Amino acid sequence: MPLSRESIVEGLQRIVGPEDVITDEHILVQSSVDNFRKLQNIFDVHTMPVPAAIVMARSTARVAEILRFADEHGVNVIPRTGATATEGGLESAAPDSVIIDGSAMNEILHIDAYNMQATAQCGVPLQVLEDRVRELGLTTGHSPQSKPVAHMGGLVATRSIGQFSTLYGGIEDMVVGLEAVFPGGQVTRIKNVPRRAAGPDIRHVVVGNEGALCFITEVTVKLFPYFPENNTFLGWTLKDMATGFAALRAVMVSGHKPSVARVYDPGDAGIHFSHFAAPDDCVLLFMAEGPAGIAKATAEGIAAVVAGFPECKPVESAYIETWFNDLCWDASKIIAEDERIRQTRNVNRTTEISADWSSINDIYQAAKARIIAEIPDITMMGGHSSHSYINGTNMYFNYFFNVVGVGPEEETDKYYLPIIGIICEETLKLGGSIVHHHGMGKARAPWVKDEYGSSYYILETLKHAFDPTGIMNKGTIIPK
Amino acid sequence: MSSLRILVSFKVTPDFEALREADWLAGAEADAAEGAAHSVETRYVRRVLNCFDESALEMALRLSEARAERGSATSLGALSVGGGETEPYLKTLLALGYERAARVEPEAALDFAPAVTAALIAGYVRRVDHSDLLLLGCRSGPGDSGTVPFLVAEALGWPCLTQVIEVEPLADDRVRVACLVDDGLLRVTLRLPCVLAVGNAVVSQLRVPTLTDRLARKNERIAVLSGADLGVDIAAEMRREPSVLTGLEAIDRARPGIIIGGATPREKAQVLFEEHLKTMIETL
Repeated sequence: MPLSRESIVEGLQRIVGPEDVITDEHILVQSSVDNFRKLQNIFDVHTMPVPAAIVMARSTARVAEILRFADEHGVNVIPRTGATATEGGLESAAPDSVIIDGSAMNEILHIDAYNMQATAQCGVPLQVLEDRVRELGLTTGHSPQSKPVAHMGGLVATRSIGQFSTLYGGIEDMVVGLEAVFPGGQVTRIKNVPRRAAGPDIRHVVVGNEGALCFITEVTVKLFPYFPENNTFLGWTLKDMATGFAALRAVMVSGHKPSVARVYDPGDAGIHFSHFAAPDDCVLLFMAEGPAGIAKATAEGIAAVVAGFPECKPVESAYIETWFNDLCWDASKIIAEDERIRQTRNVNRTTEISADWSSINDIYQAAKARIIAEIPDITMMGGHSSHSYINGTNMYFNYFFNVVGVGPEEETDKYYLPIIGIICEETLKLGGSIVHHHGMGKARAPWVKDEYGSSYYILETLKHAFDPTGIMNKGTIIPK
Repeated sequence: MSSLRILVSFKVTPDFEALREADWLAGAEADAAEGAAHSVETRYVRRVLNCFDESALEMALRLSEARAERGSATSLGALSVGGGETEPYLKTLLALGYERAARVEPEAALDFAPAVTAALIAGYVRRVDHSDLLLLGCRSGPGDSGTVPFLVAEALGWPCLTQVIEVEPLADDRVRVACLVDDGLLRVTLRLPCVLAVGNAVVSQLRVPTLTDRLARKNERIAVLSGADLGVDIAAEMRREPSVLTGLEAIDRARPGIIIGGATPREKAQVLFEEHLKTMIETL
């Protein structure tokens, strides 16, 4: 028989003390959703089950005890650190869930400048770690737009990616080792080594698990030398995305390693670049970095490759540099955006997918056309590619719509989920991946079997093996 | 009055928040080294609607809707003194239901020329638009004078209210206006025509048109006028406004901080109250 809310709270209080069990109703209600249903918090209209409590994780041992308790009593737990999730991964899909909040585990444990790695607890904000290593002339190389507000545990749990990914890779390429706690309280540490071939790479059981398998308590990431003085920015305007994707591909397969490689369609470029791009312009941009000689050679090489596309017209690099320096989200921008939504009911959403070079433009065109034709009240439908690889790239659909004729709590059903559905369908049709870097969360979990195909067997087996009682973040990655 | 003609004058400005302190100082230092007047390079940052003008634009839409509910007709117009960068905003306003959209090509940088800007706006009202009510933001950002609304009102011979935060319709030639004043809120019933300078209104965000709305008015023309069209010799007027930026220095906004100790949130809250807030509250 499941425990009552009161018994869950009492049990947690026995483990961590009453000070670290949050039961304030308003905080619990707000914590029942993440940015996937952000309108519910903005308008204070809530529909999800209210969690029973938020319990502060202050040590690995405490997390182990909490997970033992949850496993024993079948209590659904939701691991969380910076609470910046966008795909419903932090939603309390089951009644009387418990949020395990790791934000108080916020110590940088070790910065090892000789072995070029840093170890941080899960609740360390990436910005804090980055600022500390910058004092040593180093960088994590990881710079998602959420850098000022996201924490290390959540970034690893969602397979985050940053703006410089084309050079440094995603978080999965940066994580050296980690510590995580599994249901039942099993603490596991994966040691920090440059590489090993001792069987499967078990880091990837943890990286991207989205709290559906374990709670990440500590991560060690690589460090890189930091040469901001050599950063070189390049930009072009052009008239169509097919050319933009072709130019991106040409740079990526030419052997050059930009840290940033992006192409914006006219809708998205209109938001960012209307001070130099015409309303029907796409914008192609790159950043080269590293030691002076490499940055210079990379920039020159990229310019030479793009010169092979005469329809691309160069723009002054200061436009790109100034824009890039103001790209990250911080708390004040988030508050301003919430206020804009509150007044206008005009909502901005994003969905990111990936595909090979042959398919990406077709997916972009098909999804965009269908969304404009099938979804009402669209005010902008566009997107950009921002993370490229030797074999393909991502598409970050960026769209706005007015919420008309329904309450804020119905926004996801009327607009957001149907749009996600179209993007997933068009992506799967051409063999792409429906999630590039935000995580599956609960938003895209309904498509998980189509995403994985026959490899779903591996995912399902992992879930059953590590979380046999199904207490870890119910509904995330794998639907309920 | 058959249909009330409302005009909103707005300005598109650089997004000053996207400029870093170094950008401000670099411009000043470079100019000083050359012995030239100071300037700040803003062309690399995106453009945004001046926030006070944005309030005015949305307030006009709401006023129009409120009048429609009372059975009164309204015709909305939008004007900007600015170059091609204003056109996307004017097109947006057309898509939102503004009937008239125009811009005045400034022919020179008008950053420190409020009298010229005011003469152009007043000329447009008088010669072209024949508006009954003019709304505009009470100021437009760093370096502005905050005098344009007053100068326009003087040129037109109309009354002017400033720090306007609400406008409600009354009978056809009157509006009820709420303005922030030092001691509170002033509510005034005004007979039109008048100039309303919008301040920190609760309504601060302009609604967004759908793609369908945009498509419907895609081909409508934006009127482009010159100073001569409005009876204003911009070059001559500029010679009478010799304001230049003479210097820039950073304001040190750093404030001392104290990190409160304590083992638990309760202990920290207790320290915060006892040592830092209690005395302040008692002396209020």
